[in-house]
Amino acid sequence: MSTGTGRLSVPALPERWRTLLLLLPVLLLDIGAFLVPMGYLLRLSVTARTSQGAFVEGSWSIDGYRYVASSDLVHQIFAFTVSFGVGVTLLAVAIGVVYAYAAWQAGRAGRIALLSVAVLSLFTTLVIKLFAVVLVFAPQGVLNDLLTGVGLLSEPVLLVDNLVGAVLGQLYIVTPYAILAVYAVLSTLDRHQVEAARDLGAGRWDAFREVILPHIRPGIAVATVVSFTWSIGAYAAPLLLGSGSEQTTGILISELLLTQFDWPAAAALAVITVTLVFSILMVILWRFDESGGILNA
Amino acid sequence: MRKRIGTWLFRAVVGLLVVFLSLPLLIVVATAFDASGAVVFPPEQFSVRWFGALLERPTWIRSVLNSLFIAGGTTVVSMIVGVAAALGVRRFSGAGRTAVVGLTVLPLFVPGIVIGIVLLTFFSRFGLQQSYLAIIVAHSLWATPLTFSVVQASFARFDWHVAEAARDLGATPRRAFLTVVAPNVRAGLLVAALVAFVVSLQEFIMTLFLSGPDTRTVPVQAWNSLRQGLDPLVSVVSTILIVAVTVLILAASALVGLDRLATDT
Repeated sequence: MSTGTGRLSVPALPERWRTLLLLLPVLLLDIGAFLVPMGYLLRLSVTARTSQGAFVEGSWSIDGYRYVASSDLVHQIFAFTVSFGVGVTLLAVAIGVVYAYAAWQAGRAGRIALLSVAVLSLFTTLVIKLFAVVLVFAPQGVLNDLLTGVGLLSEPVLLVDNLVGAVLGQLYIVTPYAILAVYAVLSTLDRHQVEAARDLGAGRWDAFREVILPHIRPGIAVATVVSFTWSIGAYAAPLLLGSGSEQTTGILISELLLTQFDWPAAAALAVITVTLVFSILMVILWRFDESGGILNA
Repeated sequence: MRKRIGTWLFRAVVGLLVVFLSLPLLIVVATAFDASGAVVFPPEQFSVRWFGALLERPTWIRSVLNSLFIAGGTTVVSMIVGVAAALGVRRFSGAGRTAVVGLTVLPLFVPGIVIGIVLLTFFSRFGLQQSYLAIIVAHSLWATPLTFSVVQASFARFDWHVAEAARDLGATPRRAFLTVVAPNVRAGLLVAALVAFVVSLQEFIMTLFLSGPDTRTVPVQAWNSLRQGLDPLVSVVSTILIVAVTVLILAASALVGLDRLATDT
């Protein structure tokens, strides 16, 4: 059957080997360029800190973790990052549910309009989105100009270079993911179920709570995990749109790494952040996602 | 009456959200066409002179070329990996499949800043920091789960008996794939490639840490000039990127429909 030249000898391999060969690239990529580097991070986090360079090669020490555990500044930043992450996640998921529901129950044209806005926003680089937020919400920005122009405000309100700006920017980054995660699940709902509930006398709100909400639980789980992962790693939005007090763990890690050359401390903080994200992921997988929907998203 | 107020309130909220998501992008595009050097809205005088100015700035041109090269590289890598993996797990079910899927999506659940610094420290051991290779590999970590899932979704819609028939008639697996399977899942493959390309074009955080002066992409270059103040060229480049992404999305949704694009990825 096979023509048997060197390049075509693959078909002669037994089934099991062929499957392995097909999986080789993905194993190489995700183990070689992800799991191994993550292991390296773990190793870095337990090396000794030094002022003569980034870290002490081959040493063992828990100084990095001790620094994270003892520094008040790190505690403050970490606490801010977690509450920032939780706040943004709640807002993004709420918006995602409302928006996805609106798209689902709209007519064909409305659905296309709503979805294309979400998809376009999803695929626009976050730098452009943050730049846009500056243009719209800055003191001399479009919104303030408009509101002072029509006399609703006597002077511009400060919406950037503070917490509001950081949250707005971060929301702008994560909301499209939340919308599409919920919509992906909602689109599999059989409309007749909702109609049946309505026919049986359920109001719009009751139908939403009793039929739609239980159905989109896996979508909400995915939206939560994605929004939280992104917000807990927030870097660009608080840096560009926040003030000095909206310091996040991400900003701190990069500072430790790039300007203070304190790699063990940076690595320890990164390990803690990843551990936190994965614990949340596990809890959500375990609580909300019996069907394994997250892995298929 | 109460019901009607509720409906209108709902519509108002949704309308506000649409404005929140879309208006800023339109404003960025509008500011690119203003004649003055200041970033103003509404534009006072229509002009395309900043598009010409872009051509005279080698750093910006360089970043555009870098972006295209890296996005192309990411597309190739993540398509090879994604298609092979989708073929590989086709016969799997249960634990084996979950393990492979879990491995591919894992990088999506690690904050970009962490992957950025992890790969920076790791690659610098081999002197590969700031290289194209480092950035393409990083982008592929995020693009592959998407190509994998899109390709897998189109494989699931394909009747594999046709491929078996081709094999029975003497075609090699490679030939059967190229002549029977590929044409049938072509739309899915194209969409997967477009998604990978766009993911790479718009990625910022990892690239910020992994790129150097010679390998900066458009988002990183835009970030650097934004940190120094508003620059009309950022509007111009943003406009080009937004238009490019819009065209790619339109192409992808023409191929498979927006609904599938919104749900498969």
